[in-house]
Amino acid sequence: MDIHSFLIVAHLIGVALGVGGATFGGILYLKAMKDGKIDPMEGEWLSVIFMVLRIGLAIAVITGFGFFLEYRFTGQEERLMDPRLWAKLTVILVLVANALLIQMRRIPMWLGESLSLTSWYGALVLGIIRGVDYSYFAFLFFYLIGVVIVIGILSLVKRLYLGKR
Amino acid sequence: MTTSLSIYLSIHVLIGVIGIAASYMTLMWLFKRELPVRSLKVSSFIAFVAYVTAWITGGFYYVVYYGSNVKPGIKEGPTPWVHLVIMEVKEHIFLFLPILAFVVLLVIWLKGGKLQENKRLRNALALVALITLIIAVSMALGGLVISGAAR
Repeated sequence: MDIHSFLIVAHLIGVALGVGGATFGGILYLKAMKDGKIDPMEGEWLSVIFMVLRIGLAIAVITGFGFFLEYRFTGQEERLMDPRLWAKLTVILVLVANALLIQMRRIPMWLGESLSLTSWYGALVLGIIRGVDYSYFAFLFFYLIGVVIVIGILSLVKRLYLGKR
Repeated sequence: MTTSLSIYLSIHVLIGVIGIAASYMTLMWLFKRELPVRSLKVSSFIAFVAYVTAWITGGFYYVVYYGSNVKPGIKEGPTPWVHLVIMEVKEHIFLFLPILAFVVLLVIWLKGGKLQENKRLRNALALVALITLIIAVSMALGGLVISGAAR
C-alpha cells in the first residue's frame, strides 16, 4: 500500500469514527434523557463514545496534515488553496471549539449537539464532493443553513421523543 | 528538496499537530470536574517537547532550504504578502509557543495538586493554555498558506 492509499484509508477511518460517534452520541444522549437524567451506566457509554469521537478527530486531523505534506512534496501545492479545503478546516475548527465550549459548559446543549452533528457531516460532505466550484463563503453559507436545519430537526425529534416543548 | 529536508519538514508539521492536540487536551482536562493531574502532566510535557522540536526542525528547514529556494519564489509570485506578512508573523510569534507551553508545564508539575481547589489559578492557567492553542493553530494554518503559495 502506498502512502496516498494509506492516508485515504486512515482519514476515512477517522471520519467514520467521528461521524459515527457524533450520530450515536446524539442518539444515546436522547435515549438517556428520556427519564430526565443520565444514569452512571449511560454516562459511561457516552464517555466511551466521546472518547471514540476524539480518537476519530485526531486521526482525521493528523492524516489531513499528511495530505498537506503529500501535496507539498508532489508539486500539488495549488490544492492547498482550494476553498473546499479551507471550508473543511473552518468546520473542523468549529467542531474543536464547540467541544471545548461543551466541556466548559458555556454553550447550550441544543446548539452544541447541532453544531457537532452538522460539523461532522459537513466535513464528510466537503471531503467527498468533487467538481463543485463554490467560493469559501458559499461553502460556509451552506454550512450555516445546515446548522439551522439540524437545530430544527433535533428540536422536532426531541419534542416527539421526549415530549418537550 | 533532499530526503533529509523532507523528513525535517514532515517532523515539523506532524509534531506541530501533535503539540496542538496536546495543548487542546490540556485545556479540555483543565475544565473537568475532577482534574486528571497525571494526564495533565503528560499532555503539558508532550506539548512543550513538541513545540521545541517543531521550532528546531522548522528553523533548520528555513535556514537551509526555505530562505534560498522557496522565499524568492513566493516574493516574486502573485502573493508576496504570504511571505511578507504570514511567514514574518509565523517566525516571530512562534517563539511564544515553547515559552507559554513551558509556563503551563511548570504550573501543572509544581502546583498540579492545588489546581483542584484553587479556581483562580486553574482559570488563569486555562487562559494561558488557550492562548497557546490559538497561536499554535494559527501557526499551522499559516504553514498551509505558505506551502500553498510555494508553487
